[in-house]
Amino acid sequence: MRTEHRTRRVLRRIALYVSLTVMALPFVVPTLWMVASSFKPLNEIFASPPSLFSASPTTAAYAEAFDFQPFARQYFNSVYIALVVTATVLLVSALAGYAFARIRFPGRNPLFITVLVGLLVPSEVTIVPLFQMFKLAGMVDTHWPLILVTAFAAPCVLATFVMRQFFIALPVELEEAARLDGLGRFGTWWRIAVPLAKPALSAVAILTFLASWNLYLEPTVYLTSPELFTLPQALTRFTDAYGGEMWNTQLAAATMTVVPVVVVFLVAQRQFVESLAHTGLKG
Amino acid sequence: MRTARKLVSALALGTVALAAGCGGQSDPDDVALRMSVWTSNEDQLALFNTIADAYKATHPEITSITFESLPFAEYNTTLTTQIAGGNAPDLAWMGDLSADLIDAGALVPLTEPLKATADWGYDDLLPSATAEFSHDGNLYAYPFSNSPFALYVNTDLLDDAGQKLPAQPTWDDISSIGAAVHAKTGKGGFVINDFAYSSWNTLATVWTGFGASAWNADGTQCGFTSPEMTAAFEFIHRAAFVDESMPGPGITADFFAGDAAFAVAQVSRAGLLDGSFAYDVQPLPQGPAGTYSVIGQAGMGVLKSSDHTEAATGFLAFLTNPENAAKLAQYFPPPRTSLLSGDALAANNTKFSPEQLQAVVVDQIADAVTLPNHTSPAEIAQKAKTELDAMWNPDADVPAVLTSVCAAIDPLLAE
Amino acid sequence: MTHTRPSVREAPTGASRGRAAPRRSRTSRRTDALAGYLFVAPQVLGVLVFVIVPVGLAMWYSLNEWNVFTGDLDFVGGDNYTAALNDPQLPGVLGATALFSGGVVVFNIALGLALAVMLNRRFRGVALFRTLFFSPVVVSVVAWTLVWGFLLQDNGGVNGVLAMVGIDGPNWLQNGPTAMASVTFTQVVRSVGINMVLFLAALQGVPKELYEAARVDGASSRRIFTGITLPLISPTLLLTAIITIVGALQSFAQIAVLTGGGPGLSTTVLVFYVFQQTFGFNDIGYGSTLALMLLTFVMLLTVVQWQLRRKWVTYED
Repeated sequence: MRTEHRTRRVLRRIALYVSLTVMALPFVVPTLWMVASSFKPLNEIFASPPSLFSASPTTAAYAEAFDFQPFARQYFNSVYIALVVTATVLLVSALAGYAFARIRFPGRNPLFITVLVGLLVPSEVTIVPLFQMFKLAGMVDTHWPLILVTAFAAPCVLATFVMRQFFIALPVELEEAARLDGLGRFGTWWRIAVPLAKPALSAVAILTFLASWNLYLEPTVYLTSPELFTLPQALTRFTDAYGGEMWNTQLAAATMTVVPVVVVFLVAQRQFVESLAHTGLKG
Repeated sequence: MRTARKLVSALALGTVALAAGCGGQSDPDDVALRMSVWTSNEDQLALFNTIADAYKATHPEITSITFESLPFAEYNTTLTTQIAGGNAPDLAWMGDLSADLIDAGALVPLTEPLKATADWGYDDLLPSATAEFSHDGNLYAYPFSNSPFALYVNTDLLDDAGQKLPAQPTWDDISSIGAAVHAKTGKGGFVINDFAYSSWNTLATVWTGFGASAWNADGTQCGFTSPEMTAAFEFIHRAAFVDESMPGPGITADFFAGDAAFAVAQVSRAGLLDGSFAYDVQPLPQGPAGTYSVIGQAGMGVLKSSDHTEAATGFLAFLTNPENAAKLAQYFPPPRTSLLSGDALAANNTKFSPEQLQAVVVDQIADAVTLPNHTSPAEIAQKAKTELDAMWNPDADVPAVLTSVCAAIDPLLAE
Repeated sequence: MTHTRPSVREAPTGASRGRAAPRRSRTSRRTDALAGYLFVAPQVLGVLVFVIVPVGLAMWYSLNEWNVFTGDLDFVGGDNYTAALNDPQLPGVLGATALFSGGVVVFNIALGLALAVMLNRRFRGVALFRTLFFSPVVVSVVAWTLVWGFLLQDNGGVNGVLAMVGIDGPNWLQNGPTAMASVTFTQVVRSVGINMVLFLAALQGVPKELYEAARVDGASSRRIFTGITLPLISPTLLLTAIITIVGALQSFAQIAVLTGGGPGLSTTVLVFYVFQQTFGFNDIGYGSTLALMLLTFVMLLTVVQWQLRRKWVTYED
């Protein structure tokens, strides 16, 4: 009786592992295949039957990626834009989220609903008018549109929403004590609320960084100079003089954009999952 | 409080510093010319820069001439966005965007200034080359590249399959040899380069041999329902799905990587031959309508929106004068009769012999038709592609699909 | 994991507000309001400048015909709206949009929930599996889609693997239904990790005592799931449904890189169509008209979901 129960448990455990592994394949294999294929010569990429490892591995495609486009510069562009955007969003959303949750002022709810609209407007609606506005401001083919729009429109609105939910859930007593000690609103926010909001802030930081890092439509529209390109846009430009795709170079470049982020995530995954769990986004 | 403010200003300064150096305004007294091109070939750009330097030496008012490489695949979109954004170049290469630009009156007429330039030799230009870029007797872009489509042959693959190419092959010969090579080696038969079951205008390299055309000469009537076009598409459909002499949709077979027996591609693609297999190049196969030739053209023109149209036109005349045209001819088959001979072209071509060049370039250009060209090229391309997608499965109804193509693009042709 | 009650929590603020209010003077309440305005000012102004004003401009553009080569703007009134009603391609585009967004939302939430339930227990390697399922989220959309583009070629990796087990795979991206399945699948796999994590967080917020009590009462696993778990995480379900559907309606890069909207119009979703009209055909007036239509859809869907929440979201104040 007892052993039978145990065997059933073991069997169920095995079934769980097998089904999870099978389910994980489409999540993992593309990334593995991308990394493996970036070391293949061109004629092996489409070889049939497909193989993960190359018969004659080469790093030529990696050199070509830097040779063909100012790829290092494009890498830097993506990194610094994402950092600037993330820092701005943290500041803006922590302020606004706190005020929408904690401070009573006339018109608070209408203003909050107005802000939420920013989450629902697809970028396709605003991209042409924004292009005209940035053209008037002389900012076309600069990084300003990518920074400003991401730092204040949709990704920031989501952040503001997350921060508001977080601050609503936070017990108010700590702040009350601080205010009795004579701290103003700003002081309370900066000394008490922001330090307590670290989990929510880190979730916001990660989501915002990814949103900026993955931006594709906007750079495609605003940027024409290759040295200003960001990575997702640069990835689609590895074509020869006649528009033919340079597959292996593309894969090498894609690997270089993906691997660092995946590694950072692997190292930080526990904190990340926990910080998301701590935000108001849960039930 | 103070810390936060410092943080804000540091952020603001940081962004300014990082985003600076992206614009760069020039002094209004200086003439700085920009020319958009789609080549990123360093040798070609070096040649353009040498010619530009020579021009600047005699024209001190021109402080700089920059050649901006835009990616070929997104050239039209990028150029249009630049024009719409008030950031247009002074001069630009153009392919199928030319019809729209001419139609919108966005280009500077060139006939008069070129004729007025001493020793430019306007009458040297081939009429078949200038037709595409002319409107009401005026030339709007200099057709600097007139690259005929040719049949590339991987002779190694043919030998492997024990096949021999007849002296004057027809499309049927190509298809049966291609099928044999595919059956024997598993490699592709014939490939229409860049077609990829999407860019249907490249199929003009086939249907012209059947006597068909996408629309009539003035671009008002759809030609896809003609019996000739139907025959052409039935041939292509059979090749892809019955004979398997042409790689089917979703199968990548790159001739230049040695994956196919034949390719129809422009002569200018010869640079992609890397010597890993033995090759030959021939004029296009004969179709039911006999011999024919097709060229892909590129022109360069001056945009009216430029602040310096006169200076830009002056530079264009210099860049395309007989002496410089001869230099450009090493990369781009020229529109000038005086430059068109196999020996002249072979001087700078390591891939082909003078005889091959005479046969596939010189003898072709005078009577060639161009790829289909019309205003609103992107919209026509998309509308027709949407309908043609129904063609690419084994049991497609070819005439019915072609009828729907005409139904889709007729309103655009009528505009 | 901390554990909070799964209800939306206006309550604490309200309570303390009640306590604190009498102590505050009128001026302090006024400076407080001023602080409130200053705090929200960057966000509100940002939304005004970068969202509200552009939407207004888009409405104006939709009433005009615009020649990009010459810069001329012609007022045409409702012509673009009439054109939309008569556009022969639009019904197909809307159908594809509904199919794609519907598919993405349904599979994304179902799979996200299933993964969260499977991974919401302790066993060796659970952290690794969570990471694996989440990892595509951090891969850029373009890179992810490019790779799937390779794998889904007729002679690509997916069919190669299928051939090994004796299945002759279809030509994925060349037939309407399989192309739609492909873009939906790649989109779901790429983005389900976010929903999985949100559901995991919500599941961990369900009080253990409730489960124990239910088990003591002899309830089956299924009964516990539908009777206790689902109702308790329903606010998260609502939120993820909204985020997922807004995201699906805006999926541009996936379509542009994987299928280019083809074959035929089978994967031309509205967002892609808008982009084509605007930047491919330079028809900015018509593009704006269609974009506003997309906005109307998103708004309507959100309002409908918000109304429906009364029915199916159990814990909501």
